[in-house]
Amino acid sequence: MPDRFAPGDAVRTSTADPVWHTRLPRYARGAVGQVVELAGHHPLADDRARGRAGTRQAVYHVRFAAADLFGDGDHAVTVELWEDYLEPADHQPPGQQGGTP
Amino acid sequence: MSRINDVGGMVGFPAIVEEPDEPAFHADWEAHVLALNAALIRRGVYNLDEFRDAIERMPPERYLASSYYEKWFTAITTLLAEKGVATPEELATPEELAGA
Repeated sequence: MPDRFAPGDAVRTSTADPVWHTRLPRYARGAVGQVVELAGHHPLADDRARGRAGTRQAVYHVRFAAADLFGDGDHAVTVELWEDYLEPADHQPPGQQGGTP
Repeated sequence: MSRINDVGGMVGFPAIVEEPDEPAFHADWEAHVLALNAALIRRGVYNLDEFRDAIERMPPERYLASSYYEKWFTAITTLLAEKGVATPEELATPEELAGA
């Protein structure tokens, strides 16, 4: 499966809060950031933690403005994120479509 | 349901204080725990993600009261029991190792 994202792409992180181990920290959920670089291909940690082989997929370094995550700060925060956690930033999350422009 | 380990960006936790000339281990049993975990992962008893998951499943009050390698020890004993390798009673506690 080809990688979905490339450096420079704007991405939005998942808002899912699974009961199992995940590598998407709470502070970075539902946030928009920019792909910095590809960080290799690895089985999804969420699957491996549950005894599954895990889907091998792209992992990216994604940079966020700290103010977008915490409402404060003028620095950037870079998080290592699996492709499953990401959608294109212009993708409308379910339930937020059809709103007043 | 975010677990107790997921505290990034939360207020109320003080800054991490770095020790000057911090040793790799503060007690010999910590080195045993490090080596034991590496051996168990290398032998395929469990993987690194299962290990992280086991740490995160600790009861919050115990997680917050435990040192770094106490968390590791807890996760190792949890996984060995769940995998049917050893019971917690068969393993020495850090206190027993320290007195050995």
